[in-house]
Amino acid sequence: MMRPFTGVRNTENLVVSAVALGAAAVLAGGAFARADRRTPERAVTNRPVQAPAGGYASSDTCRACHPGQYASWHGSYHRTMTQLATPDTVATSFDGVTVDAVAGEPIHLEQRGRELWAEFADPDAAGVGVGSDPTLTPLTPNRITRQVVMTTGSHNQQIYWYATGNSRVLGQLPAIWLTSERAWIPRRAAIMSPPGAHASETGAWNGVCVACHTTNGQPRLDAPFGSTPAPAIAANTRAAEFGIACEACHGPGEAHARANRNPARRYALHFQPGARDDTIVQPERLDPLRASQVCGQCHSFWEFADPQAERRANADGLPYRPGDDLAATRFIAQPTRNLDTPIMRAFLAADPGFVRDIFWSDGMIRATGREYNALIDSPCFKNAADPSRTMTCFSCHTMHKPDDDPRSIGDWADDQLSPRAIDGRSCAGCHTMADDHSHHAAGSPGRTCENCHMPYTTYGLLKTIRSHQISSPSVQATLATGRPDACSLCHLDKTLAWTAATLDAWYGTPRPALGDDEQTVAASVLWLLKGDAGQRAIVAQAMGWPAAQRAAGSAWLTPYLALTERDQYDAVRLIAARARRTLPPFRREALPRGSAQLLLTPAGTFDTSRVNRLVRERNNRRLVYRE
Amino acid sequence: MSSDYARRHLRVGWWALLVFATLGLVLESLQGFKVAAYLDVSNETRRLMWRLAHAHGTLLGVVNILFALTLRTSAPSTPPGLARISAALVAATFLLPIGFFAGGIVFYGGDPGVGVLLVPAGAILLLLALYWTARGVR
Repeated sequence: MMRPFTGVRNTENLVVSAVALGAAAVLAGGAFARADRRTPERAVTNRPVQAPAGGYASSDTCRACHPGQYASWHGSYHRTMTQLATPDTVATSFDGVTVDAVAGEPIHLEQRGRELWAEFADPDAAGVGVGSDPTLTPLTPNRITRQVVMTTGSHNQQIYWYATGNSRVLGQLPAIWLTSERAWIPRRAAIMSPPGAHASETGAWNGVCVACHTTNGQPRLDAPFGSTPAPAIAANTRAAEFGIACEACHGPGEAHARANRNPARRYALHFQPGARDDTIVQPERLDPLRASQVCGQCHSFWEFADPQAERRANADGLPYRPGDDLAATRFIAQPTRNLDTPIMRAFLAADPGFVRDIFWSDGMIRATGREYNALIDSPCFKNAADPSRTMTCFSCHTMHKPDDDPRSIGDWADDQLSPRAIDGRSCAGCHTMADDHSHHAAGSPGRTCENCHMPYTTYGLLKTIRSHQISSPSVQATLATGRPDACSLCHLDKTLAWTAATLDAWYGTPRPALGDDEQTVAASVLWLLKGDAGQRAIVAQAMGWPAAQRAAGSAWLTPYLALTERDQYDAVRLIAARARRTLPPFRREALPRGSAQLLLTPAGTFDTSRVNRLVRERNNRRLVYRE
Repeated sequence: MSSDYARRHLRVGWWALLVFATLGLVLESLQGFKVAAYLDVSNETRRLMWRLAHAHGTLLGVVNILFALTLRTSAPSTPPGLARISAALVAATFLLPIGFFAGGIVFYGGDPGVGVLLVPAGAILLLLALYWTARGVR
């Protein structure tokens, strides 16, 4: 027995210490209880809930071992694609604000503690949504007050969803917040759709958005979405996690987390160079097709192959897991590959715009958010024989910002571009071009690969983005499809004849036969005046592009954008107004008077006869983008 | 004899305090100058390990000083097992903070480097030293 010390009697000190420790524990517990007052998910009944199950563990679990990856994901817009609505997550104030975006139907926003509420015209009541359309007679709408419980969207726009009071079914506020403009607009104005096209969005989050704005979303509607009037739908919607979280791309992580609670296993993996942990999916290590399908599960244009598949997904969520063959469980609509198939014919019979409104006539995708469709028809993908030299989403994008990337998380998050995509190494990995290949000056926009081979011809979310189907400028393709070519979207003042002659001179591209207008009027002007709504939006946005303004001059753009601000499509008007704000104040004396190809007279006015003729020839078919 | 041990632990304690308080100053400087190798989110494990090294080293310095003072005030003669307690405490004083620090030099995501294996060894020695000391106090 070792009793070496004498003379120390610490009983009193021990008692004092124990009392102090107890008091500290009580104080800490009280503070913790106050901080965690949010209603537990299991007790929430008026909205969809987060309930990890079926092998999903949630990003909180991933964070412990992957702090860097967690942080870059947390800073990304994938995370915020669905959030619970709180004063911290909404992009604008709800504190006593009245929104007048929808004419005659004000929305009163209110903050009650941490809760957000809105009083507005019931979108499901007859007569609501008429808005500013003067051809319809507005009725006195039923006004309702509902709690705003969730948001979707992030850097472009934020959409607000309220608890309808019917099970977990959500309704959508009639106005949305535009992040860059810092302004409210009517919800229907945010979609490329003709005037008067309006449908209630009640239940849409539960039935549609949940698939891609959450991780492992399960609609659990009591009837297929759209089969019954919105108020009659009931839903028990849930998701493993709101937003597109770790397991959306890496697959369910519960087994991975469980296996790696064993430190010996973890360190064995650390010390084996190139070791693969088969309890989790690393998308970049999959073959090019499967790797891209991880993104394609959301960034593609797909439908359920049959009603049974839809029923199963309604109950259990989509069956696709990263690493699977996406096409095995969904129908990926790709007119270049499956236009003449029974399933496509069935979709076309039900909706003639099924292909036309989302693809150019040659099968190239024209709607944002479907980049997988573009990728798999790109020559860099479909013609590549070597997997290591096959373009995938990860050739240009990275889901986790590299440590040595000097950009801030915010800068990186906008499009999650990999550093190698910024300096052109993505293309240079396979393509070695002569120094004069582009025929543009070093440092100029025309020198970059993407400005010629990925022009801004895809539309969605009130803006155009680059086509993700790699292509080369072709007047022939432009004539055949109506898709603006890269040259004309920068050289806005040039005709297609000029573009054809230039491509012939530089690359030997055969010149197609051109009509009188194509030979004499700037291509951008033609599309703006007589193109369909999608073409008009593309050109209007190009007119706000600084590179194009430098190449084509900006003095003549204001009149055309002002004209476009009277377009019948809300979305086109909004883009034109945004483009006009990028221009210097209009000066009539700066106009290139007498420019025939810009339809300007020597007096500095429009050549009204030709302008009016082109507007009369406008392609006015109803266009509804499936954004 | 016990006074020799007391002097030894006073020396170890004050030197440990100096070294690991200095480490604290270094860490504060890394924080102040926003050094990415310390502050980036992907270096969270390093930050945690080095802060633990600072905290444990400093605290163990104080423990050594307290141990020395305990010896001086309570042990008129050489107590049995003192050599063992002293050795365990000194070893723990080095192993714990050095293990944490080494674990933060090279690490693997959320897992510290292998240097952290020194920590459980040091912790066991510390607990033994505390147990033997506590039992010896009357």
